Amino acid sequence: MAIDPELLEILACPNCKTKVDLVKNGTALKCGQCRRVYPIKDDIPVMLIDEATIEP
Amino acid sequence: MATDLKGVIQEKYGEAARRAAAGAARTGCCGTGCGCDDPITTNLYGADDTAALPAQAIAASLGCGNPTALIDLAPGQVVLDLGSGGGIDVLLSARRVGPHGKVYGLDMTDDMLTLARGNQRRAGVANVEFLEGEIEHIPLPDASVDVIISNCVINLSADKARVLREAFRVLRPGGRFAVSDIVVRGEIPAQVRRSLELWVGCVAGALHEDEYTRLLEAAGFSGVTVEPWRVYRANDARQFLTDAGLDVDALAPEVDGKVASAFIRATKG
Repeated sequence: MAIDPELLEILACPNCKTKVDLVKNGTALKCGQCRRVYPIKDDIPVMLIDEATIEP
Repeated sequence: MATDLKGVIQEKYGEAARRAAAGAARTGCCGTGCGCDDPITTNLYGADDTAALPAQAIAASLGCGNPTALIDLAPGQVVLDLGSGGGIDVLLSARRVGPHGKVYGLDMTDDMLTLARGNQRRAGVANVEFLEGEIEHIPLPDASVDVIISNCVINLSADKARVLREAFRVLRPGGRFAVSDIVVRGEIPAQVRRSLELWVGCVAGALHEDEYTRLLEAAGFSGVTVEPWRVYRANDARQFLTDAGLDVDALAPEVDGKVASAFIRATKG
């Protein structure tokens, strides 16, 4: 099951509070501002700053 | 064994989630594990509320109140539960906001989120999303939520001022904060406080009721009320304090009525 579009619309980066976008074939969310990538595990977005990776 | 506060909380509540998933009986919010009848966490929900919920949601309930009874939720509203645990308050709220409303449950413990998702499926509730994250860093934009609820969680945070600022940020103008939490009232000598902490883990981080009000106002909230609804008496702690080798009768005046479950309400603007 993919992430709900309504959820994607509202989710924000916990660091920047700005919108995140689906990346990696819908398995992660990325903040365009701080470039943190948050994984989606078992359909639950893991919005933990400590567990995010920073990608170019 | 984790030594930092966040790690300790994740371990403790992760274990509670696994126990609830396995069908074990509930322990207290405050997780004393003493097997005694915890006056803080028992009998919080009415039969009307629990009848439609999965047993695992009730079993995992580690709160100190019923925040969904604190506030009238209207159809179509967006609700955020800070520290949603097994999901009981999220599922109850979801019914009240109806199919056009939405309830977000935010928690940082994997096992609790897994349990909550299972409970959501068993309850057949669609208008709910669970998110993994910290209540100090809410992954939602400004002004996106109508009502914030939380049940005996904010006391666990190492940075309560930040939690309350985040709550204020994500609420829409006119949005409401309606939370159940443990508070300390009056003065408690440090030594007595340590004994109490052994009894109820929650007391360790509980704010004084005046400090709660001050922090909410500092975050920008108005109309703050702290309403203790279940006040703990020295007798509630008698067995524990006796087992710990403490003289209950000597301590009673220092302990009696100093800890309470409270309804805390505030409004954004």
